[in-house]
Amino acid sequence: MRGAWLVLLAGATGCLGDLDPAWQLDHDRIVAIRATPPHVVAGDPLVLDALMAHKGAPTDIESPTLAIVSPLAPKSLMGVRVARDGSDWTVTAPDDATLAAARTELMLDAGAPVPLEIGMTFGSGATPLVATKFVYFGDAVDNPAITNPLVDGAPPATALVIPPDLDVPLAVDADPTDKINWLTSCGTMHDADEIKAFVHVLPDDPMSGELAVVRRTAAGGVAFERWPIMTTIAGAGSGSGR
Amino acid sequence: MVKGHIINALGKPVRGAAVTVEGTGITTTTDRTGWYRLPGVAVGATLVVDAKGYQTGLGTIVGEDVDEIVLLTLDQATETITVTDTASAAQGGAKLERQEMERVAGTGNDLVRTLSAMPGVANFQLPLGYSGVVIRGSSPQDSKILVDDFEIPTLYHDIGFRSVIPTEAIEKLDYLPGGFDVAYGRAASGIVALTTRAGSAQRSDQAEVSVIDGGLIAQGSIDKDTTYMIGFRRSVIDLLLPHIIPASVDLSLTTVPRYYDEQFRIDHKFNDRWNLRLSSVGSDDALEIFTDKSQNADKRFFNRTRFARLTAALHYHDGPWTATFALSGMAQEFVFERGVAQFINIKQLPITARTEVVRTTPELAGLTDVAVRVGAEAAVTRYNVDIALPQERREGQPDGPDNPNDTSNRFNGIAYTPDFAVWTALQANLSPSIRATTAVRVDEFARINDFSIQPRGDITFKLTKQLSARLSSGSFVRPPEFQGELLATHVHPERSIQNIAGVTYEPAEGIRVQGSLYYTDRDQLLRYAPDGKSLLNDGRGTTYGAELLATLRSGPWFGFVSYSYSHSTRVDAPGQPSRLFDYDQPHSLNVALSWKRDKWQLGGRFQLYSGLPSTPVTGSIYNSDSNLYNPIYGAVNSDRAPIHHELDIRIDRYWKWGDLNMSWFLDVQNVYLDQSVVAYFYSYDYSQRAEFTSIPIIPSLGIRGQF
Repeated sequence: MRGAWLVLLAGATGCLGDLDPAWQLDHDRIVAIRATPPHVVAGDPLVLDALMAHKGAPTDIESPTLAIVSPLAPKSLMGVRVARDGSDWTVTAPDDATLAAARTELMLDAGAPVPLEIGMTFGSGATPLVATKFVYFGDAVDNPAITNPLVDGAPPATALVIPPDLDVPLAVDADPTDKINWLTSCGTMHDADEIKAFVHVLPDDPMSGELAVVRRTAAGGVAFERWPIMTTIAGAGSGSGR
Repeated sequence: MVKGHIINALGKPVRGAAVTVEGTGITTTTDRTGWYRLPGVAVGATLVVDAKGYQTGLGTIVGEDVDEIVLLTLDQATETITVTDTASAAQGGAKLERQEMERVAGTGNDLVRTLSAMPGVANFQLPLGYSGVVIRGSSPQDSKILVDDFEIPTLYHDIGFRSVIPTEAIEKLDYLPGGFDVAYGRAASGIVALTTRAGSAQRSDQAEVSVIDGGLIAQGSIDKDTTYMIGFRRSVIDLLLPHIIPASVDLSLTTVPRYYDEQFRIDHKFNDRWNLRLSSVGSDDALEIFTDKSQNADKRFFNRTRFARLTAALHYHDGPWTATFALSGMAQEFVFERGVAQFINIKQLPITARTEVVRTTPELAGLTDVAVRVGAEAAVTRYNVDIALPQERREGQPDGPDNPNDTSNRFNGIAYTPDFAVWTALQANLSPSIRATTAVRVDEFARINDFSIQPRGDITFKLTKQLSARLSSGSFVRPPEFQGELLATHVHPERSIQNIAGVTYEPAEGIRVQGSLYYTDRDQLLRYAPDGKSLLNDGRGTTYGAELLATLRSGPWFGFVSYSYSHSTRVDAPGQPSRLFDYDQPHSLNVALSWKRDKWQLGGRFQLYSGLPSTPVTGSIYNSDSNLYNPIYGAVNSDRAPIHHELDIRIDRYWKWGDLNMSWFLDVQNVYLDQSVVAYFYSYDYSQRAEFTSIPIIPSLGIRGQF
């Protein structure tokens, strides 16, 4: 609880102003890791990739530099094939017998999807970024889609132009159990982890950058979308300010 | 009115002896039968007795009738240690009087904050999230805060850096950093004992308002045998706070942080032998904040902490017999809600009965000034607990990633802690210059079916008239009743063995220097088992240090210098490396001086103290499913915040306004704007670290009227 108080204090005093917030895309980081598809039946492969953000550069989608089965995984799944296949890293679901053994080990019901944690590294620098993600075997589930995104009340164009110094509303459709994250490198994001958020570009902010949204489902599905974004010269634009 | 008798070693009354209440101008002389009477003197005050041809004698007011004070002639070989109090004082401790504490700069007129100036007390700039006092490098829960002998759950309000009891409602504060008497228990480190103020016979009302809070206090007599004191205070800072927080900050204050507190005390004298004290302290803090402007439910913080304690104590005193019978109850509620998932709701109802009987005799089996004490206490507490939180952080564990949806620690139920204790102590002069105490306390903690025998003892040598030395050693325990420990049954109390050696030197009237060395060995320290949930008792720790406290009381001057050096380490489990305690603070220095004359009082205080240890983060692993970064930590408490120093000043001005005695004060902390690091905050992915620095300057302006 002391941690919660410190977070509150930090927020109240503006102490965190020197730290990049979690919605900032102008920062070297992993934004989200995607398994395509997140659930596969026995013997089927899935592909791992991630939306990566970079300091001073646009986002891109990268494959891991390394992927392995987590050392914390159940023993019955230690032999799962994780391999580079060309430029992609793939994970292949084991056979039904192995999955049955894993369900027993994990005390799962028969037919339940079997989770496996994959450890990955991204980036080729001296200090690669380390991450984990669960993939699921034994059933078939697809990643969700980014549905009905709205920027300033309208579907986003290929390149977004938003008004300066106004709260520009953002929205996306999602289930209540989904987790949404809005990110930007242009302006300040408010309510960044809500279905409805807003971005506000101050005159001192960068005039252009990217806007991104990530959707995570309870089943481990991930979708993301990004758009170039820029703002007009102060006073010249229009928008539905709040 | 108190009365007492002054005699010499032959039992003859001493006529014409000057009896003065220390630190005040109240004085009288004994009549031809050796008796004296003093009006308007509070319990706990020290009497200084001077008579021509005799050495100075001391006594403590424990009730209407003061024990006989025996004066020795100057030609007697050595000085007898006068029985001044039935309880054994702790070496390194300090008894702070209200009038003096009010003079310490940088406390914002808050008496309890003077504690931070005492040697051995960890000093930090933001008492945030801490309900107690950290003494000699241990943890807050290792020390107890008592009001009129009974524990209160928190010493400070949530905001404003104020204690829950205003200065005017406190008579005195006993700071016992270790080696404390067997009458105190369930603490492995130290004791802070506050005594509420008895109402005076003469009616007076007082109002005070500052930028922090405002309050009223009234006292007087109901009849010739009954006095009262009643106080109430409310925060003011909540009215100012919305105007202070910048509009750019993503905050929405729906319940602006505010607090109330109340105090009352009624003293009634039944007859010369029996009197009753009825006292209460209470506090109520609340706040509700949304960390966004839209007031989304998942950005909500709500906190309410309130308690009220009521104590009835019956005192008996007749010649060599003194007894106290007390019953105390408290209602406490603590509610904390964060977002839509995390919450704590704890209702606590402790009922405590306590008694102590003291028999004194001038001589027994070759010993002199003998006091035998026997006491017992039964404390039963009912806890209604409903929590949904992350796993609780224990000593040495970093805060970890902040996940507002983590509710891995869930419990909804009722717990009881029936705790019982008995104690006895024998104090006597072994020779005219040696006084010793042997004592033992036995605690039974029925919830965990554990009992602890704690022998304690001390011996004091009066080396010269000005110099005395004292050695003490004892065993102390803290039951596992702090937060989540309440839910563990197969655990034992944490233990400490404290060894203290000290000297006290009083070279002249009003000058006192006391120094002490201490070594504390701790064992059975609680820590998490490898499963991260259950508790084990295999931690060990040691703390050693040195403390110095020098005080000056001379005419218009009052000042003190306190310094403490401390080194506090812990081994969490066998085979693990030694590490620093979370609150290890090697150096703490306080120098305070104040001058008071006529309408003015000026004071200043310089503070310098080490920053607290912290555990650095060396990297992180991103969990894509939870979208959280899990930190990778370096060695526990291997980093430390830098030294902080500051100068505080205080000005008081007094004047008359009609029948009102008026005063205003200006108390400014950190006048030269030293900004040192209080804590480090990491970015969400731990790739960046920001420093949270101390508040550059804290002014407090207040006005007080009394009639």
